[in-house]
Formats: sequence, C-alpha cells, structure tokens
Amino acid sequence: MEVLHTNNEGNQVLNLSRLHLFELNLDQIEDGQRNRVQRLYLTYNSIAFFPSSVCLLPNLEYLDISNNAISVLSDDITRLTNLKTFVAKNNNLDETSFPKFFGSMQNLQTLNFSGNRFREIPVQFLKLSRLQSLSLGGNRLKGIPAEIEHLTRLEMLYLGGNMISSIPPELANLGQLRCLVLCDNCIQSVPPQLSRLHSLLSLSLHNNLLKFLPREILSLVHLQELSLRGNPLVVRFVKDMTYNPPSLLELAGRTIKSRNVLYLPSDLPASLSHYLDTASKCPNPKCAGVYFDSCVRHIKFVDFCGKFRLPLMDYLCSPECTSPCGCNPQSHGESEGEGDVPATRLQRVLLGSPLSCNRFGEAGLGLLT
Amino acid sequence: MEQAGLVKPETLDGLIKILHKIFENDIINVEEVQNIMEAYASKPQEWMKFAKFDQYRYTRNLVDEGNGKFNLMILCWGEGHGSSIHDHTDSHCFLKLLQGQLKETLFEWPDRKAHGDMVQKSQRILKETNSIGLHRVENVSHTECAVSLHLYSPPFSHCQTFDQRTGHRNTVRMTFWSKFGERTKLFNSFVIRENRHSA
Repeated sequence: MEVLHTNNEGNQVLNLSRLHLFELNLDQIEDGQRNRVQRLYLTYNSIAFFPSSVCLLPNLEYLDISNNAISVLSDDITRLTNLKTFVAKNNNLDETSFPKFFGSMQNLQTLNFSGNRFREIPVQFLKLSRLQSLSLGGNRLKGIPAEIEHLTRLEMLYLGGNMISSIPPELANLGQLRCLVLCDNCIQSVPPQLSRLHSLLSLSLHNNLLKFLPREILSLVHLQELSLRGNPLVVRFVKDMTYNPPSLLELAGRTIKSRNVLYLPSDLPASLSHYLDTASKCPNPKCAGVYFDSCVRHIKFVDFCGKFRLPLMDYLCSPECTSPCGCNPQSHGESEGEGDVPATRLQRVLLGSPLSCNRFGEAGLGLLT
Repeated sequence: MEQAGLVKPETLDGLIKILHKIFENDIINVEEVQNIMEAYASKPQEWMKFAKFDQYRYTRNLVDEGNGKFNLMILCWGEGHGSSIHDHTDSHCFLKLLQGQLKETLFEWPDRKAHGDMVQKSQRILKETNSIGLHRVENVSHTECAVSLHLYSPPFSHCQTFDQRTGHRNTVRMTFWSKFGERTKLFNSFVIRENRHSA
C-alpha cells in the first residue's frame, strides 16, 4: 500500500488516516523503511487501544492519532525518544492516561490533546522542560497548576473551552509565552502579575466572567490581540461599596512608613517587622501613601487606542486618594470617568508609537469586542 | 444576458472561470453566484496553497481579483479565532465553508445616538451564506480549524468594526495575509510558526 511517501519538506510520511483501522500493522513495511518514518498519521480510525507497534518507528518525530477512541497510552510510548510533536485530539484521554515516566520524553515540543476528558493538567506534562506549545482546549480542566511555571520554554498555551475559574499568578513566570488562550472558561479575575508576560502577543479572554481588568494589563506593550467580548465588563463607573476601614495596626503601619520612622528589626517582634515589609505603595504618583490590607478598588475607564473603553482596576490607599490618571473617584457620580490626563496620551505612552501597526494595518491594538 | 448556465464547477479554477464570466455583465444575479459557490465541492488539494494559517488570528488570503469586479479569498480560522462585528461597506458577501464550521451572529445596526449593547438578530452555524449587514463570524471549535471561501462584490478595502457593548464604530483598513499563494510582507518582525495542516 502506497501510503509511505516523502512530503514537500523532505520528511518521510506514513499516512494511515481514514482507513477504518482498529490497530496498526507495520508488517508490510520493512525494517529499513520503518527507520526512516518521521511522521505518522493515524487519524479518523477506530482505534481503541494505543497501538504499541508505533514504537517500532524509532525515528518518529511527529505522531497524530486524533479522532480515535483511545483512553490510555501504553508505557512503551516513552521509547519514542525522538518524538517532538504529539497530537491526539478527540479521543478519550484524561490525566490518568499517561505512563508514569511520560515526563522523561524531553524532546517533546508540541502537545495537542484538545477535545479529550482532562480534569487537570497531568504532572508528567510539567516535567517537559522543552515544551513550546501545549493545547488542552475543549477539556474539563478546573484550574491551572502553579507548577505551569516549570515550562519555561512555553510559547503557546491553549486552554480555551474548559471550566477554569482562576489564573495562578505563577503563570506570569512564562517569560517566552506569546499566545495565551483562556476563552470560554469561568474566569472571574486576571492576576495583575500577568503584566510580566513581556513576550505576550495575543491574549484571548472572551466568554468568561470578568467584570474588569487589572490596571497592569496596560504594561503589555507588545500585545497585538486582546479579546474580551462576552464578559460582564462593567460599563459605568462603580464605586466599591465594600471598603473596610483600616485597622489600628494598619494605621500605625502607614504612619511608620509614610513618615519614614526609623526602626531596626531588633526593635520589633518578627511578625510586625514582616508586616511592615508588606506595605504597598499607592499607585497615585501624587500620593506618598502606602497601604497594607485596607484599600479601595477603583475602576477607571481607559480608552484603548481611542476606540474602546476598558474598565481597569486600581488599588488606592483610601477613598480620598485619586488614581494616577488624576481623577477623584468621589467626583465621578454619573460620569464615565474622564481623567485629567487625556486618555489618548495614556495610550500612547503605554502602547508605543501610534504608528506601530498590527497585522490588520490599523494603528494600535486589534481589540475584539 | 447570457447566463453561465447550470455548469457545476469541477475545480477551483473552474469556479473562478465561471465567476469571471458571470461578472462580465453589469447586472449580477445574486442567486446565480450563490448557486455556483454552493455547487463547488471543496477539494483541499486545490486550495491548500492559499490556506495559510496564523497562530494568533484569522487570515485573509486573496485567490483572485476578478478583473476588479470581485475579490475571491480564502479565510483561515484557527481554534477559537473570531472576527469583530463588521459590515461590508455596501458590497455583497458570499461565504462558503471549505472545512470545519463557523458560527455567524447577525446584529441590528446600532442607532447612532443610542448607547448600550448591540442587539443580536440571530445566530447560526454556517455552511453557505450570502449576507449584507452586520455580523460576527467565529470558529468556536477548540479542536478544529476552519477554512472558508469568500466572494465580495464589488471589492472593498475598508470596512467598519463595532464595539458590541456600546455600538461605537471604527473604520479599519483590510489587509491580506497572502495573495495568490504568496505571503505578503507586512509590519511583522516576529516569526509565525504554522503548526497546522488541513487534513
């Protein structure tokens, strides 16, 4: 059967898709040819058990077993030491389907297990230190483990269409991440640390439960695509009604910090010394204040590229304080929140030159609303 | 007015020839164009060279310029990729799915003075469509890519996009990711990895 051929890139491809196969029989392919097979397609068959004979292809770099009925992967898959790309969409896989030492397959760069039954990301995946692209779209993930930060080479993370309710701040340690897809989940807030994803070009958050974004999102200066539609984003200024007055401890701490009262660690119990270290500076540049636990959430509307108004959230040290955009939250009332600093200038400062164009040829951010 | 008849386009090239003939006339029969588009049976090996995907967003790939009377293009939608709400600047838009599925949401035109959410008219999964008016098109699949064939007549280079929450509109310039199978050079400085294949 002439299913073994060389493709345009010079790879030896074995294409056994759509053949009503229940298993993989390599008898027709002699040893010499087996050693040359670099890519194997077994998609759209009726395979229920992962065919161990796949492991008879020692130089396999690309394996696609999508659209079968596989629920478990045999241990000898780890013999495919040259495997770089493993695609198994639309099967019956979950986090228990993988051999214990799957994490030892250190050449793996791309994994696509979308359309399966994962409830969590398997721990073995988090050991794949060379992984560049991970897709688990359309599964049943409830969350993202903090250990995701171990995948330091990750450039693409597709987790759309799951049941994720929060994003761990450790995700921000993925310094090479370019594309983050979290659409169609149940995410209620975005951790401000995500602003550290300095390589991020595309952030997909549509169809979640976001009411606002952290102000820090504006520091993602390379961001070209940001999708936010289908979120219950606050449209009008909302004054936070749950301001808790500061405790005596907090007031004392604020005084010490803002007046630069000198102290040595030996002057205080360790717990108080540690508490003083947790002071956060109020983002208002005109305010030298700090806060500890008691702060006001202030939602400021920022014009993105002069086109769309995004509700961004700031923490301020008190209701009397004002945001860095120079506006007093108490004076808003019914207004949409125009700052003293023109929003367009803010955009230019944070998003670079107004002449920087995205792929669509339009200045600024390709914002999907 | 000579009709192209009930010829079924056997190939993509055949479709293009028939379209050229239809558009030689000044008056175009919308139904005729619709039928011809519908009759073409998608053969991936014929359009694969135009189907260039991008990791971050959908791409527009020009196939034929229709002697200035129409533009025929192939759009490639990765998982989760969608368009903004847009119009077609008084042009007719014919759309046919070549692979995968797309969801279309039609919207009412927002009143220029009104604020607040735009009103949805209807939603459906597309096979073919011929629409005028506002819509958002999206690939809602998290596992499959989608490829669609679009014909716009007359061709247009600008359109309006709309903010769904407020109805505010913007004019944007449309660009092509590739023309006639060749990647166009735009402002990108980073490498796009194409890890897709239309199998």
